[in-house]
Amino acid sequence: MTVPTLEIQSLTLGLKGGARLLRDVSLSVKPGEVHALVGESGAGKSMIGKAVLGVLPPSVQTLSGSINLQGNQLDALSPAARRQAVASVASLIPQDPLTALNPSRRIGPQITDRLIKRLGWKADDAQRRALELLDRVRIRDPQRVMASYPHELSGGMRQRVLIAAAFAPRPKLIVADEPTTALDVTVQKQILALIRELQQQEQTAVLFVTHDMGVVAKISQRVSVLFAGKVMESSDTADIFSHPKHPYTQALIMATPRYTHPDEALRPVPAELIAQLQREIAADDRGAAHVR
Amino acid sequence: MSVEPLIRVRDLQLSLPDMARKPLFGPAPRIEILKGLSFDLPRGAITGIVGESGSGKTTAGRALVRLLQPTGGSITFKGQDITHLSETSLKPLRRDLQMIFQDPMSSLNPRHTIGRIIANPMERYGVPNARQRALETLERVGLPASFAGRFPHELSGGQRQRVGIARAVALDPAFILADEIVSGLDVSSQAQVLTLLRQLAQDMNLTIAFISHDLSVIRNVCSQVIVLNQGLIAEAGPCRQVFDAPQSPITQTLIDAIPLPEIDESWFDTVKV
Repeated sequence: MTVPTLEIQSLTLGLKGGARLLRDVSLSVKPGEVHALVGESGAGKSMIGKAVLGVLPPSVQTLSGSINLQGNQLDALSPAARRQAVASVASLIPQDPLTALNPSRRIGPQITDRLIKRLGWKADDAQRRALELLDRVRIRDPQRVMASYPHELSGGMRQRVLIAAAFAPRPKLIVADEPTTALDVTVQKQILALIRELQQQEQTAVLFVTHDMGVVAKISQRVSVLFAGKVMESSDTADIFSHPKHPYTQALIMATPRYTHPDEALRPVPAELIAQLQREIAADDRGAAHVR
Repeated sequence: MSVEPLIRVRDLQLSLPDMARKPLFGPAPRIEILKGLSFDLPRGAITGIVGESGSGKTTAGRALVRLLQPTGGSITFKGQDITHLSETSLKPLRRDLQMIFQDPMSSLNPRHTIGRIIANPMERYGVPNARQRALETLERVGLPASFAGRFPHELSGGQRQRVGIARAVALDPAFILADEIVSGLDVSSQAQVLTLLRQLAQDMNLTIAFISHDLSVIRNVCSQVIVLNQGLIAEAGPCRQVFDAPQSPITQTLIDAIPLPEIDESWFDTVKV
Protein backbone atom coordinates (compact mmCIF):
# COMPACT_ATOMS: atom_id res chain seq x y z
CA MET A 1 0.00 0.00 0.00
CA THR A 2 1.61 3.24 -1.10
CA VAL A 3 1.27 6.11 1.34
CA PRO A 4 -0.57 8.98 -0.37
CA THR A 5 1.39 12.18 -0.91
CA LEU A 6 -1.73 14.22 -0.29
CA GLU A 7 -4.74 13.24 1.72
CA ILE A 8 -7.67 15.58 2.18
CA GLN A 9 -10.36 14.51 4.62
CA SER A 10 -13.84 16.02 4.87
CA LEU A 11 -12.63 19.50 4.00
CA THR A 12 -15.34 22.13 4.36
CA LEU A 13 -14.58 25.76 3.59
CA GLY A 14 -16.83 28.76 3.92
CA LEU A 15 -16.81 32.50 3.56
CA LYS A 16 -16.65 34.15 6.95
CA GLY A 17 -20.23 34.11 8.20
CA GLY A 18 -21.60 33.08 4.86
CA ALA A 19 -21.79 30.69 1.97
CA ARG A 20 -19.96 27.38 1.78
CA LEU A 21 -17.29 27.00 -0.86
CA LEU A 22 -16.28 23.37 -0.32
CA ARG A 23 -18.49 20.72 1.22
CA ASP A 24 -16.98 17.68 2.87
CA VAL A 25 -14.33 17.09 0.20
CA SER A 26 -12.15 14.01 0.61
CA LEU A 27 -9.53 12.82 -1.82
CA SER A 28 -6.02 11.43 -1.91
CA VAL A 29 -3.20 11.51 -4.45
CA LYS A 30 -0.45 8.91 -4.58
CA PRO A 31 3.14 9.48 -5.74
CA GLY A 32 3.29 9.50 -9.54
CA GLU A 33 -0.47 9.89 -9.86
CA VAL A 34 -2.37 12.68 -11.61
CA HIS A 35 -5.67 13.44 -9.91
CA ALA A 36 -7.91 15.72 -11.94
CA LEU A 37 -10.37 18.12 -10.32
CA VAL A 38 -13.01 18.94 -12.89
CA GLY A 39 -16.11 21.10 -12.77
CA GLU A 40 -17.58 24.32 -14.04
CA SER A 41 -16.51 27.74 -12.85
CA GLY A 42 -17.43 28.27 -9.24
CA ALA A 43 -17.39 24.54 -8.45
CA GLY A 44 -14.51 25.03 -6.01
CA LYS A 45 -11.84 23.12 -7.91
CA SER A 46 -9.19 25.85 -7.65
CA MET A 47 -10.17 26.39 -4.02
CA ILE A 48 -8.97 22.87 -3.17
CA GLY A 49 -5.54 23.62 -4.63
CA LYS A 50 -5.41 26.92 -2.75
CA ALA A 51 -6.33 25.21 0.51
CA VAL A 52 -3.52 22.68 0.06
CA LEU A 53 -0.96 25.38 -0.74
CA GLY A 54 -2.23 27.55 2.11
CA VAL A 55 -3.03 30.52 -0.10
CA LEU A 56 -6.74 30.86 0.57
CA PRO A 57 -8.07 34.42 0.49
CA PRO A 58 -8.41 35.91 3.99
CA SER A 59 -12.21 35.91 3.67
CA VAL A 60 -12.26 32.10 3.50
CA GLN A 61 -12.10 29.97 6.61
CA THR A 62 -11.76 26.24 7.16
CA LEU A 63 -14.88 25.00 8.91
CA SER A 64 -13.79 21.40 9.27
CA GLY A 65 -11.57 18.72 7.82
CA SER A 66 -7.88 18.09 7.53
CA ILE A 67 -5.09 18.12 4.94
CA ASN A 68 -2.17 15.74 5.23
CA LEU A 69 0.75 16.51 2.93
CA GLN A 70 3.70 14.10 2.85
CA GLY A 71 3.07 13.03 6.44
CA ASN A 72 2.51 16.54 7.81
CA GLN A 73 -0.89 17.30 9.29
CA LEU A 74 -1.01 20.84 7.91
CA ASP A 75 -3.83 22.16 10.07
CA ALA A 76 -1.94 21.17 13.23
CA LEU A 77 1.02 23.39 12.32
CA SER A 78 1.64 27.03 13.15
CA PRO A 79 1.29 29.33 10.11
CA ALA A 80 5.08 29.66 9.74
CA ALA A 81 5.70 25.94 10.11
CA ARG A 82 2.92 25.26 7.66
CA ARG A 83 4.41 27.60 5.06
CA GLN A 84 7.76 25.87 5.40
CA ALA A 85 6.18 22.40 5.23
CA VAL A 86 4.28 23.30 2.06
CA ALA A 87 7.15 25.16 0.39
CA SER A 88 9.53 22.25 0.76
CA VAL A 89 7.08 19.71 -0.66
CA ALA A 90 4.59 21.37 -3.02
CA SER A 91 4.73 23.59 -6.12
CA LEU A 92 2.18 25.39 -8.23
CA ILE A 93 1.90 25.57 -12.00
CA PRO A 94 -0.36 28.59 -12.46
CA GLN A 95 -2.95 29.22 -15.14
CA ASP A 96 -1.74 32.37 -16.77
CA PRO A 97 1.87 32.33 -17.91
CA LEU A 98 1.61 36.01 -18.83
CA THR A 99 1.00 37.27 -15.32
CA ALA A 100 2.70 34.62 -13.19
CA LEU A 101 6.21 35.83 -13.89
CA ASN A 102 7.59 39.10 -12.56
CA PRO A 103 8.03 41.26 -15.68
CA SER A 104 10.94 43.24 -14.26
CA ARG A 105 13.16 40.32 -13.27
CA ARG A 106 15.19 37.91 -15.34
CA ILE A 107 13.98 34.30 -15.64
CA GLY A 108 16.99 32.77 -13.84
CA PRO A 109 16.45 34.24 -10.37
CA GLN A 110 12.71 33.66 -10.70
CA ILE A 111 13.49 29.93 -10.80
CA THR A 112 16.40 29.81 -8.35
CA ASP A 113 15.22 32.27 -5.67
CA ARG A 114 12.92 29.80 -4.02
CA LEU A 115 15.61 27.09 -4.04
CA ILE A 116 18.20 29.35 -2.45
CA LYS A 117 16.22 31.58 -0.14
CA ARG A 118 13.45 29.25 0.97
CA LEU A 119 14.99 25.81 0.70
CA GLY A 120 18.62 26.60 1.48
CA TRP A 121 20.22 25.31 -1.71
CA LYS A 122 23.72 26.45 -2.67
CA ALA A 123 23.61 29.01 -5.48
CA ASP A 124 25.63 26.76 -7.79
CA ASP A 125 23.31 23.81 -7.24
CA ALA A 126 20.24 25.95 -7.81
CA GLN A 127 21.74 27.34 -11.02
CA ARG A 128 22.59 23.85 -12.27
CA ARG A 129 19.14 22.51 -11.39
CA ALA A 130 17.42 25.41 -13.18
CA LEU A 131 19.47 24.83 -16.34
CA GLU A 132 18.73 21.10 -16.17
CA LEU A 133 15.00 21.68 -15.89
CA LEU A 134 14.91 24.27 -18.68
CA ASP A 135 16.67 21.72 -20.85
CA ARG A 136 14.18 19.05 -19.85
CA VAL A 137 11.24 21.25 -20.88
CA ARG A 138 13.02 21.51 -24.27
CA ILE A 139 14.10 25.12 -24.02
CA ARG A 140 16.82 25.28 -26.60
CA ASP A 141 19.23 27.79 -25.13
CA PRO A 142 18.75 27.58 -21.33
CA GLN A 143 21.62 29.96 -20.57
CA ARG A 144 20.12 32.67 -22.74
CA VAL A 145 16.60 32.13 -21.39
CA MET A 146 17.88 32.37 -17.80
CA ALA A 147 19.17 35.84 -18.67
CA SER A 148 15.98 36.88 -20.50
CA TYR A 149 13.03 38.88 -19.27
CA PRO A 150 9.53 37.34 -19.50
CA HIS A 151 8.40 39.68 -22.30
CA GLU A 152 11.10 38.26 -24.53
CA LEU A 153 9.43 34.83 -24.47
CA SER A 154 6.21 33.58 -26.09
CA GLY A 155 3.26 32.36 -24.00
CA GLY A 156 4.14 28.71 -24.61
CA MET A 157 7.80 29.35 -23.66
CA ARG A 158 6.75 31.11 -20.47
CA GLN A 159 4.53 28.17 -19.53
CA ARG A 160 7.58 25.90 -20.06
CA VAL A 161 9.58 28.14 -17.73
CA LEU A 162 6.84 27.88 -15.10
CA ILE A 163 6.84 24.09 -15.40
CA ALA A 164 10.62 24.06 -14.97
CA ALA A 165 10.30 26.35 -11.94
CA ALA A 166 7.61 24.13 -10.41
CA PHE A 167 9.65 20.93 -10.79
CA ALA A 168 13.01 22.48 -9.82
CA PRO A 169 12.72 21.99 -6.03
CA ARG A 170 11.91 18.26 -6.53
CA PRO A 171 8.39 18.65 -5.12
CA LYS A 172 6.35 15.65 -4.02
CA LEU A 173 3.14 17.38 -5.08
CA ILE A 174 2.32 19.78 -7.88
CA VAL A 175 -0.89 21.74 -8.03
CA ALA A 176 -1.52 22.51 -11.70
CA ASP A 177 -4.28 25.13 -11.83
CA GLU A 178 -5.68 25.13 -15.38
CA PRO A 179 -2.15 25.32 -16.78
CA THR A 180 -3.23 25.11 -20.42
CA THR A 181 -6.46 27.10 -20.47
CA ALA A 182 -4.80 30.21 -21.91
CA LEU A 183 -2.97 28.27 -24.63
CA ASP A 184 -4.08 27.11 -28.05
CA VAL A 185 -4.61 23.40 -28.70
CA THR A 186 -1.27 22.50 -30.24
CA VAL A 187 0.71 24.26 -27.50
CA GLN A 188 -1.66 22.76 -24.92
CA LYS A 189 -0.79 19.27 -26.08
CA GLN A 190 2.95 19.98 -25.83
CA ILE A 191 2.59 21.41 -22.33
CA LEU A 192 0.47 18.46 -21.18
CA ALA A 193 3.06 16.06 -22.60
CA LEU A 194 5.86 17.86 -20.74
CA ILE A 195 4.02 17.89 -17.42
CA ARG A 196 3.26 14.19 -17.87
CA GLU A 197 6.84 13.32 -18.76
CA LEU A 198 8.42 15.16 -15.81
CA GLN A 199 5.77 13.97 -13.40
CA GLN A 200 6.34 10.35 -14.42
CA GLN A 201 10.14 10.64 -14.28
CA GLU A 202 10.09 12.29 -10.87
CA GLN A 203 7.11 10.30 -9.58
CA THR A 204 5.41 13.55 -8.56
CA ALA A 205 1.81 13.52 -7.39
CA VAL A 206 -0.25 16.07 -9.33
CA LEU A 207 -3.52 17.75 -8.47
CA PHE A 208 -4.67 18.89 -11.90
CA VAL A 209 -7.44 21.50 -11.98
CA THR A 210 -9.31 21.80 -15.27
CA HIS A 211 -12.77 22.43 -16.69
CA ASP A 212 -12.07 20.37 -19.81
CA MET A 213 -13.22 16.73 -19.77
CA GLY A 214 -10.97 16.14 -22.78
CA VAL A 215 -7.89 17.17 -20.80
CA VAL A 216 -9.06 15.01 -17.89
CA ALA A 217 -9.22 11.98 -20.17
CA LYS A 218 -5.70 12.49 -21.45
CA ILE A 219 -3.69 13.53 -18.39
CA SER A 220 -5.19 11.90 -15.30
CA GLN A 221 -5.49 8.47 -13.71
CA ARG A 222 -7.99 9.57 -11.08
CA VAL A 223 -10.68 12.24 -11.21
CA SER A 224 -13.03 14.02 -8.84
CA VAL A 225 -16.03 15.73 -10.41
CA LEU A 226 -17.10 18.80 -8.47
CA PHE A 227 -20.34 20.71 -8.37
CA ALA A 228 -20.96 23.57 -5.94
CA GLY A 229 -17.98 22.59 -3.82
CA LYS A 230 -19.10 18.99 -3.46
CA VAL A 231 -17.56 15.88 -4.97
CA MET A 232 -20.22 14.31 -7.17
CA GLU A 233 -18.13 11.35 -8.21
CA SER A 234 -14.54 10.27 -7.64
CA SER A 235 -12.98 7.31 -9.39
CA ASP A 236 -10.49 6.03 -11.92
CA THR A 237 -10.44 8.16 -15.06
CA ALA A 238 -10.93 5.12 -17.26
CA ASP A 239 -14.13 4.25 -15.37
CA ILE A 240 -15.48 7.80 -15.49
CA PHE A 241 -15.42 7.76 -19.26
CA SER A 242 -16.56 4.17 -19.79
CA HIS A 243 -19.20 4.13 -17.04
CA PRO A 244 -19.94 7.60 -15.68
CA LYS A 245 -22.13 6.93 -12.66
CA HIS A 246 -23.28 10.36 -11.61
CA PRO A 247 -25.75 12.15 -13.92
CA TYR A 248 -23.70 15.34 -13.61
CA THR A 249 -20.57 13.56 -14.84
CA GLN A 250 -22.57 12.17 -17.74
CA ALA A 251 -23.90 15.64 -18.51
CA LEU A 252 -20.40 17.20 -18.51
CA ILE A 253 -19.15 14.57 -20.95
CA MET A 254 -22.21 15.01 -23.18
CA ALA A 255 -21.75 18.79 -23.25
CA THR A 256 -18.19 18.52 -24.60
CA PRO A 257 -18.18 18.81 -28.39
CA ARG A 258 -16.40 16.08 -30.33
CA TYR A 259 -15.31 16.55 -33.92
CA THR A 260 -15.82 12.82 -34.36
CA HIS A 261 -19.56 13.26 -33.73
CA PRO A 262 -20.41 16.37 -35.76
CA ASP A 263 -24.10 15.69 -36.08
CA GLU A 264 -24.70 15.16 -32.40
CA ALA A 265 -26.53 18.16 -31.00
CA LEU A 266 -24.53 19.94 -28.31
CA ARG A 267 -26.23 19.26 -25.02
CA PRO A 268 -25.84 21.73 -22.16
CA VAL A 269 -26.07 20.37 -18.63
CA PRO A 270 -29.88 20.14 -18.15
CA ALA A 271 -31.30 22.94 -16.00
CA GLU A 272 -33.49 20.44 -14.11
CA LEU A 273 -30.41 18.45 -13.10
CA ILE A 274 -28.68 21.59 -11.81
CA ALA A 275 -31.81 22.62 -9.89
CA GLN A 276 -32.07 19.15 -8.35
CA LEU A 277 -28.41 19.10 -7.30
CA GLN A 278 -28.76 22.55 -5.78
CA ARG A 279 -31.80 21.41 -3.79
CA GLU A 280 -29.90 18.39 -2.48
CA ILE A 281 -26.95 20.56 -1.48
CA ALA A 282 -29.19 23.10 0.27
CA ALA A 283 -30.82 20.24 2.20
CA ASP A 284 -27.37 18.90 3.17
CA ASP A 285 -26.32 22.35 4.38
CA ARG A 286 -29.42 22.61 6.57
CA GLY A 287 -28.69 19.15 7.97
CA ALA A 288 -25.10 20.13 8.72
CA ALA A 289 -26.26 23.33 10.43
CA HIS A 290 -28.51 21.24 12.68
CA VAL A 291 -25.68 19.00 13.82
CA ARG A 292 -23.53 21.99 14.63
CA MET B 1 -24.44 27.09 -58.36
CA SER B 2 -23.11 30.45 -59.41
CA VAL B 3 -24.75 32.28 -56.52
CA GLU B 4 -22.74 35.35 -55.64
CA PRO B 5 -21.05 34.86 -52.23
CA LEU B 6 -21.79 37.51 -49.63
CA ILE B 7 -18.11 38.22 -49.16
CA ARG B 8 -15.38 37.51 -51.67
CA VAL B 9 -11.76 37.80 -50.65
CA ARG B 10 -8.97 37.80 -53.20
CA ASP B 11 -5.24 37.78 -52.46
CA LEU B 12 -5.80 39.59 -49.16
CA GLN B 13 -2.60 40.97 -47.72
CA LEU B 14 -2.16 42.89 -44.53
CA SER B 15 0.88 44.11 -42.71
CA LEU B 16 1.02 45.91 -39.38
CA PRO B 17 3.75 48.01 -37.80
CA ASP B 18 5.93 45.92 -35.49
CA MET B 19 6.08 48.22 -32.49
CA ALA B 20 8.52 45.93 -30.67
CA ARG B 21 11.16 46.71 -33.28
CA LYS B 22 10.33 50.39 -33.77
CA PRO B 23 13.38 52.62 -33.69
CA LEU B 24 13.28 55.69 -31.44
CA PHE B 25 12.85 57.91 -34.49
CA GLY B 26 11.27 56.96 -37.76
CA PRO B 27 8.61 54.46 -38.66
CA ALA B 28 8.31 50.95 -37.22
CA PRO B 29 9.21 48.14 -39.58
CA ARG B 30 6.12 46.36 -40.93
CA ILE B 31 5.37 42.76 -40.25
CA GLU B 32 3.40 40.75 -42.78
CA ILE B 33 0.43 39.08 -41.10
CA LEU B 34 -1.69 38.02 -44.06
CA LYS B 35 0.27 36.98 -47.12
CA GLY B 36 -2.44 36.57 -49.76
CA LEU B 37 -5.72 34.90 -48.79
CA SER B 38 -8.45 34.06 -51.29
CA PHE B 39 -11.78 32.63 -50.18
CA ASP B 40 -15.54 33.10 -50.40
CA LEU B 41 -18.07 33.36 -47.61
CA PRO B 42 -21.27 31.95 -49.09
CA ARG B 43 -24.59 33.49 -48.02
CA GLY B 44 -26.27 31.79 -45.09
CA ALA B 45 -23.25 29.65 -44.22
CA ILE B 46 -21.13 29.51 -41.09
CA THR B 47 -17.50 29.38 -42.14
CA GLY B 48 -14.91 28.36 -39.58
CA ILE B 49 -11.50 30.02 -39.54
CA VAL B 50 -8.96 28.04 -37.56
CA GLY B 51 -5.24 28.11 -36.95
CA GLU B 52 -2.60 28.27 -34.25
CA SER B 53 -2.03 31.52 -32.42
CA GLY B 54 -0.20 33.89 -34.73
CA SER B 55 -1.63 32.27 -37.85
CA GLY B 56 -3.57 35.44 -38.72
CA LYS B 57 -7.13 34.31 -37.99
CA THR B 58 -8.07 37.31 -35.87
CA THR B 59 -6.39 39.72 -38.30
CA ALA B 60 -8.28 38.12 -41.20
CA GLY B 61 -11.55 38.55 -39.31
CA ARG B 62 -10.84 42.19 -38.53
CA ALA B 63 -10.03 42.85 -42.17
CA LEU B 64 -13.38 41.30 -43.18
CA VAL B 65 -15.31 43.87 -41.13
CA ARG B 66 -12.78 46.54 -42.10
CA LEU B 67 -11.53 47.23 -38.61
CA LEU B 68 -8.16 46.93 -40.33
CA GLN B 69 -7.14 48.30 -43.68
CA PRO B 70 -5.72 45.65 -46.04
CA THR B 71 -2.41 46.46 -47.68
CA GLY B 72 -3.15 44.43 -50.79
CA GLY B 73 -5.78 42.34 -52.54
CA SER B 74 -9.50 42.93 -52.31
CA ILE B 75 -12.59 42.33 -50.20
CA THR B 76 -15.91 42.45 -51.98
CA PHE B 77 -19.08 42.69 -49.90
CA LYS B 78 -22.41 42.21 -51.71
CA GLY B 79 -20.62 42.94 -54.98
CA GLN B 80 -19.09 46.19 -53.71
CA ASP B 81 -15.32 46.53 -53.29
CA ILE B 82 -14.82 47.63 -49.67
CA THR B 83 -11.05 47.10 -49.49
CA HIS B 84 -10.11 50.74 -49.35
CA LEU B 85 -13.38 52.47 -48.49
CA SER B 86 -13.00 55.40 -46.12
CA GLU B 87 -14.73 55.29 -42.75
CA THR B 88 -17.37 57.71 -44.08
CA SER B 89 -18.14 55.52 -47.06
CA LEU B 90 -18.17 52.45 -44.83
CA LYS B 91 -20.72 53.95 -42.47
CA PRO B 92 -23.82 52.81 -44.37
CA LEU B 93 -22.34 49.29 -44.50
CA ARG B 94 -21.40 49.06 -40.84
CA ARG B 95 -24.87 47.94 -39.79
CA ASP B 96 -24.48 44.91 -42.05
CA LEU B 97 -21.05 43.99 -40.70
CA GLN B 98 -21.51 43.07 -37.05
CA MET B 99 -19.18 41.36 -34.64
CA ILE B 100 -19.24 39.34 -31.43
CA PHE B 101 -16.10 39.28 -29.32
CA GLN B 102 -14.33 36.76 -27.13
CA ASP B 103 -14.72 38.47 -23.80
CA PRO B 104 -18.20 39.89 -23.32
CA MET B 105 -17.19 41.49 -20.02
CA SER B 106 -14.79 43.83 -21.76
CA SER B 107 -16.93 44.37 -24.85
CA LEU B 108 -20.08 45.41 -22.99
CA ASN B 109 -20.12 48.85 -21.38
CA PRO B 110 -20.21 48.14 -17.63
CA ARG B 111 -22.11 51.35 -16.91
CA HIS B 112 -24.95 50.70 -19.33
CA THR B 113 -27.95 48.46 -18.74
CA ILE B 114 -28.38 45.43 -20.97
CA GLY B 115 -31.40 47.09 -22.59
CA ARG B 116 -29.38 50.16 -23.45
CA ILE B 117 -26.45 48.10 -24.73
CA ILE B 118 -28.72 46.36 -27.22
CA ALA B 119 -30.84 49.39 -28.11
CA ASN B 120 -28.01 51.90 -28.57
CA PRO B 121 -26.68 50.65 -31.90
CA MET B 122 -30.22 50.40 -33.25
CA GLU B 123 -30.89 54.02 -32.27
CA ARG B 124 -27.70 55.07 -34.00
CA TYR B 125 -28.85 53.41 -37.20
CA GLY B 126 -32.32 54.91 -36.84
CA VAL B 127 -34.16 51.65 -36.26
CA PRO B 128 -37.66 52.55 -35.02
CA ASN B 129 -38.86 51.26 -31.62
CA ALA B 130 -35.33 50.33 -30.60
CA ARG B 131 -36.27 49.80 -26.95
CA GLN B 132 -39.13 47.47 -27.83
CA ARG B 133 -36.96 45.56 -30.29
CA ALA B 134 -34.24 45.19 -27.67
CA LEU B 135 -36.73 43.40 -25.42
CA GLU B 136 -37.80 41.12 -28.26
CA THR B 137 -34.18 40.36 -29.11
CA LEU B 138 -33.45 39.46 -25.50
CA GLU B 139 -36.17 36.84 -25.64
CA ARG B 140 -34.88 35.67 -28.97
CA VAL B 141 -31.50 34.86 -27.40
CA GLY B 142 -33.19 33.07 -24.51
CA LEU B 143 -32.96 35.75 -21.84
CA PRO B 144 -35.97 37.13 -19.95
CA ALA B 145 -37.03 40.66 -20.91
CA SER B 146 -36.45 41.65 -17.28
CA PHE B 147 -32.71 41.45 -17.95
CA ALA B 148 -33.00 44.75 -19.83
CA GLY B 149 -32.67 46.60 -16.53
CA ARG B 150 -29.59 44.73 -15.34
CA PHE B 151 -25.93 45.52 -15.74
CA PRO B 152 -23.30 43.26 -17.36
CA HIS B 153 -21.63 42.36 -14.06
CA GLU B 154 -24.89 40.90 -12.78
CA LEU B 155 -24.88 38.25 -15.51
CA SER B 156 -22.98 35.00 -15.89
CA GLY B 157 -20.43 34.57 -18.66
CA GLY B 158 -22.86 32.62 -20.84
CA GLN B 159 -25.61 35.20 -20.32
CA ARG B 160 -23.26 38.04 -21.19
CA GLN B 161 -22.28 36.30 -24.40
CA ARG B 162 -25.98 36.01 -25.26
CA VAL B 163 -26.18 39.78 -24.83
CA GLY B 164 -23.23 40.13 -27.21
CA ILE B 165 -25.13 38.03 -29.72
CA ALA B 166 -28.33 39.99 -29.12
CA ARG B 167 -26.57 43.30 -29.76
CA ALA B 168 -25.29 41.99 -33.08
CA VAL B 169 -28.45 40.28 -34.36
CA ALA B 170 -30.77 43.11 -33.26
CA LEU B 171 -29.48 45.10 -36.23
CA ASP B 172 -30.49 42.31 -38.60
CA PRO B 173 -27.04 42.30 -40.19
CA ALA B 174 -26.00 40.38 -43.29
CA PHE B 175 -22.70 39.30 -41.77
CA ILE B 176 -21.41 38.50 -38.30
CA LEU B 177 -17.81 38.03 -37.28
CA ALA B 178 -17.63 35.76 -34.23
CA ASP B 179 -14.10 35.73 -32.83
CA GLU B 180 -13.48 33.00 -30.22
CA ILE B 181 -16.88 33.68 -28.71
CA VAL B 182 -17.01 30.56 -26.53
CA SER B 183 -13.40 30.11 -25.50
CA GLY B 184 -13.92 31.70 -22.07
CA LEU B 185 -17.05 29.72 -21.24
CA ASP B 186 -17.77 26.49 -19.39
CA VAL B 187 -18.74 23.57 -21.61
CA SER B 188 -22.37 23.83 -20.64
CA SER B 189 -22.63 27.56 -21.46
CA GLN B 190 -20.59 26.88 -24.57
CA ALA B 191 -23.12 24.30 -25.73
CA GLN B 192 -25.97 26.75 -25.09
CA VAL B 193 -24.32 29.65 -26.89
CA LEU B 194 -23.36 27.54 -29.91
CA THR B 195 -26.82 26.00 -30.18
CA LEU B 196 -28.29 29.50 -30.06
CA LEU B 197 -25.92 30.83 -32.70
CA ARG B 198 -26.70 27.94 -35.01
CA GLN B 199 -30.43 28.44 -34.55
CA LEU B 200 -30.25 32.19 -35.20
CA ALA B 201 -28.06 31.69 -38.25
CA GLN B 202 -30.66 29.36 -39.68
CA ASP B 203 -33.68 31.51 -38.79
CA MET B 204 -32.16 34.78 -39.99
CA ASN B 205 -30.10 33.38 -42.87
CA LEU B 206 -26.96 34.89 -41.36
CA THR B 207 -23.54 34.62 -42.92
CA ILE B 208 -21.00 34.06 -40.17
CA ALA B 209 -17.22 33.88 -40.01
CA PHE B 210 -16.56 31.81 -36.91
CA ILE B 211 -13.00 32.08 -35.62
CA SER B 212 -11.90 29.43 -33.15
CA HIS B 213 -8.88 27.39 -32.20
CA ASP B 214 -11.15 24.50 -31.22
CA LEU B 215 -11.74 22.20 -34.17
CA SER B 216 -14.41 20.21 -32.31
CA VAL B 217 -16.45 23.37 -31.96
CA ILE B 218 -15.88 24.29 -35.61
CA ARG B 219 -16.94 20.83 -36.74
CA ASN B 220 -20.15 21.20 -34.78
CA VAL B 221 -21.26 24.62 -35.99
CA CYS B 222 -19.62 25.26 -39.37
CA SER B 223 -20.35 23.90 -42.81
CA GLN B 224 -17.00 24.85 -44.25
CA VAL B 225 -13.62 25.63 -42.76
CA ILE B 226 -10.50 27.60 -43.65
CA VAL B 227 -7.26 26.49 -42.00
CA LEU B 228 -4.68 29.26 -41.71
CA ASN B 229 -0.98 28.80 -41.18
CA GLN B 230 1.46 31.70 -40.94
CA GLY B 231 -0.75 34.08 -42.87
CA LEU B 232 -1.58 31.67 -45.68
CA ILE B 233 -4.44 29.27 -46.29
CA ALA B 234 -3.15 25.79 -45.59
CA GLU B 235 -6.40 24.14 -46.54
CA ALA B 236 -10.04 25.04 -47.09
CA GLY B 237 -13.22 23.18 -47.92
CA PRO B 238 -16.40 21.61 -46.59
CA CYS B 239 -15.92 20.47 -42.99
CA ARG B 240 -16.65 16.84 -43.80
CA GLN B 241 -13.93 16.74 -46.43
CA VAL B 242 -11.30 18.61 -44.40
CA PHE B 243 -11.90 16.56 -41.25
CA ASP B 244 -12.23 13.17 -42.92
CA ALA B 245 -9.24 13.54 -45.21
CA PRO B 246 -7.02 16.44 -44.13
CA GLN B 247 -4.59 17.36 -46.88
CA SER B 248 -2.32 19.70 -44.97
CA PRO B 249 0.02 18.60 -42.16
CA ILE B 250 -1.06 21.61 -40.08
CA THR B 251 -4.70 20.48 -40.28
CA GLN B 252 -3.64 17.03 -39.13
CA THR B 253 -1.62 18.55 -36.26
CA LEU B 254 -4.59 20.67 -35.18
CA ILE B 255 -6.91 17.65 -35.28
CA ASP B 256 -4.42 15.47 -33.37
CA ALA B 257 -4.14 18.14 -30.69
CA ILE B 258 -7.84 18.02 -29.75
CA PRO B 259 -8.27 16.25 -26.43
CA LEU B 260 -11.46 14.25 -26.96
CA PRO B 261 -13.33 13.28 -23.79
CA GLU B 262 -12.45 9.63 -24.16
CA ILE B 263 -9.59 7.38 -23.06
CA ASP B 264 -6.86 7.11 -25.69
CA GLU B 265 -3.54 5.71 -24.49
CA SER B 266 -1.79 6.61 -27.74
CA TRP B 267 -2.83 10.29 -27.76
CA PHE B 268 0.58 11.56 -26.62
CA ASP B 269 2.39 9.43 -29.21
CA THR B 270 1.88 12.04 -31.92
CA VAL B 271 3.17 15.03 -29.96
CA LYS B 272 6.44 16.74 -30.73
CA VAL B 273 7.55 18.64 -27.64
